[in-house]
Amino acid sequence: MQALTVLYDQECGLCRRAHNWLAEQSKLVELNFVPCASEDARKRYPQLNHDLTKKDLTVVSDNGAVYFGPKAWLMVLWALTQYRDWAYRLATPELLPTTKKVVSVISQNRYQLGRVAGLSR
Amino acid sequence: MTIAITTYLIYLAISIALTVWVARTLHKNGRVFLVDVFHGNEALADSVNHLLVVGFYLINFGYVSLALKLGYAVDDAQKGIEALSVKVGMVLIVLGAMHFFNLFIFSRMRRRKSVHSNQPPIGPDAFTTVQEA
Repeated sequence: MQALTVLYDQECGLCRRAHNWLAEQSKLVELNFVPCASEDARKRYPQLNHDLTKKDLTVVSDNGAVYFGPKAWLMVLWALTQYRDWAYRLATPELLPTTKKVVSVISQNRYQLGRVAGLSR
Repeated sequence: MTIAITTYLIYLAISIALTVWVARTLHKNGRVFLVDVFHGNEALADSVNHLLVVGFYLINFGYVSLALKLGYAVDDAQKGIEALSVKVGMVLIVLGAMHFFNLFIFSRMRRRKSVHSNQPPIGPDAFTTVQEA
């Protein structure tokens, strides 16, 4: 695996902020950012359910493996030099249920969170 | 030479000999670990190994020195041997703790390295075809 494509929600301030932060991090795996359900995303992945990618973060590897929701977050973390250890830690059977819960809550409330944090939509 | 002085000298001789022996064992056998951790960079491994041993010597000799004073009179040979056994026993336990602490550091370093494998932390949800632009 050489590269991951991150299908992110361009409509949400929190996601754009996260995108900017990720762009600055040192990476072990290349990260490409494509707005979800965009023309570019549809062209790249003709078979993917693009309505689903609008609901939660989706990551697709260069060999076509699709990671959705909490798994996508873990894969992004895993791509970062400084946080790879954390990706493994959060993916252990003991922590994975909590990770999934926390990530889902953040994902589902991303517009509200962005507004609270003062990031425009 | 009084019995107390003799006890002190034997204590020092045993403690120093033990510390040197444990440090040399660590130095000799820890090297393999460190070379592996630093991806075969032997110069770096030797440097870190040496620094660890210096710290080990400092802490142990510091303890041996601080723990030298008996604080009570040693009147006969029996008292001397008893005092010696308590002091040397303490040194042995401190050496043992330090030794395991060093092993813990080595194994931590090794784990950190193995964590940087290329195996993703989780399996994918599905597979899709990729149309290269």
